Amino acid sequence: MFELDMRSRKPIYEQLVDKLKELIINEVLKPDEQLPSVRTLAQQLTINPNTIQKAYRELENQSYIYSLPGKGSFVNSFNLVKDSEKLTNIKKELEKNILEALYLGVTAKELIHLIEELDASKEGGDKDDRNEKR
Amino acid sequence: MIEMKNVSKTFDRYQAVENVNLSIEKGSIYGLIGSNGAGKTTLLKLLAGIYRQDRGEVSINEQAVYENLDQKQKLFFIPDQPYFLPHYTIKQMAQFYKSIYPSWSDERFQKLAKWFDIDLKKRIHTFSKGWQRQAAFILAFSTLPQILILDEPMDGLDPVVRKKVKNLMIQDVADREMTILISSHNLREIEDICDHIGIIHRGSLLLEKELDDLKSDIHKIQVAYKEGMPEDSLEGLYMLHREKRGSVFICIVRGKEEKIAEQIRKTKPVIFDLLPLTLEEIFIYEMGDIGYAIKNVIV
Repeated sequence: MFELDMRSRKPIYEQLVDKLKELIINEVLKPDEQLPSVRTLAQQLTINPNTIQKAYRELENQSYIYSLPGKGSFVNSFNLVKDSEKLTNIKKELEKNILEALYLGVTAKELIHLIEELDASKEGGDKDDRNEKR
Repeated sequence: MIEMKNVSKTFDRYQAVENVNLSIEKGSIYGLIGSNGAGKTTLLKLLAGIYRQDRGEVSINEQAVYENLDQKQKLFFIPDQPYFLPHYTIKQMAQFYKSIYPSWSDERFQKLAKWFDIDLKKRIHTFSKGWQRQAAFILAFSTLPQILILDEPMDGLDPVVRKKVKNLMIQDVADREMTILISSHNLREIEDICDHIGIIHRGSLLLEKELDDLKSDIHKIQVAYKEGMPEDSLEGLYMLHREKRGSVFICIVRGKEEKIAEQIRKTKPVIFDLLPLTLEEIFIYEMGDIGYAIKNVIV
């Protein structure tokens, strides 16, 4: 289903949580779809089943998935959490990039201008999308 | 549940294990790491009921292990050099283990032999080191143990076989809640599959922790400033190590990620990276903290 980077410094458990979140947010895993069992995933990825259990528990705490006793884990259909998570991620990413731009000498004014331009063109972009669908 | 309480063991006058307390949950994969001669093998042999402790208690499910047939039938120990009866073939060894372990599974033995593609009728001592180890694994996994104790298990195995062995371990942990205790120097190997880590040095257990907790508690940071490092930037942080490479400072800091990041960001660095450590690095710096450091020696 996916691969983990065994050579990465990032703990396997975190990689697993992030990867599954990504799949759920991008709806590769659809709401109410069953996640692979701990056993299958452990075999597939050759990692400790306890690590997978832990990742599943964490995802359940963050309400990405729900589990039915004796049946397994399923993707939650609750979209709000996903959107807010996506937003925080994007904001974090932006913060990093903006900081980099500022260090490189781009002025705040230029950035604001850029944002306004993008905002304006977004309207146009939306229309284009709609046209395509027709 | 495997437990050691205040266990000590001496050989003649040499104190190999000193006052060790350790506990391993059922279904967990526990990695024991340590410096050379730290007492890893002694510890494993105490747990396997091969040595008798001088002091303290060694128990599995609250029963002493030493000379306890009931408990020993449930565990399998592969020493760092697998032992086979002289001139035995794998098939004969299988007969031998079958007579000792009530849980022995012929079906599994046949499947494993096929999977590893090994000649059952050849004498084991004619095998190469790697093949001998594979034979040991086939026999071990055929006894369906509740506890598997492995001393340097991946030594001499090629990457394909390693993966096979790991897969088998995972299968048994997931299906039967088998407990595994591994000692190794190859930290990379252990990092992939263990959930708990114990670090042993000069006979004492330095720390015992969940691997993820261990990793989230220690970080490597790289910072650089436009005009030198501000004096107060790292104040109050628990620093294990610090060095300067050109204008970049590299520090190993203990503590929570968010807190460290927040404090450093306040000082407005030009470059700032916060990385988790690999198990190998954790080992080196933890050991450095107690004086077992790598010093640059020119010989």
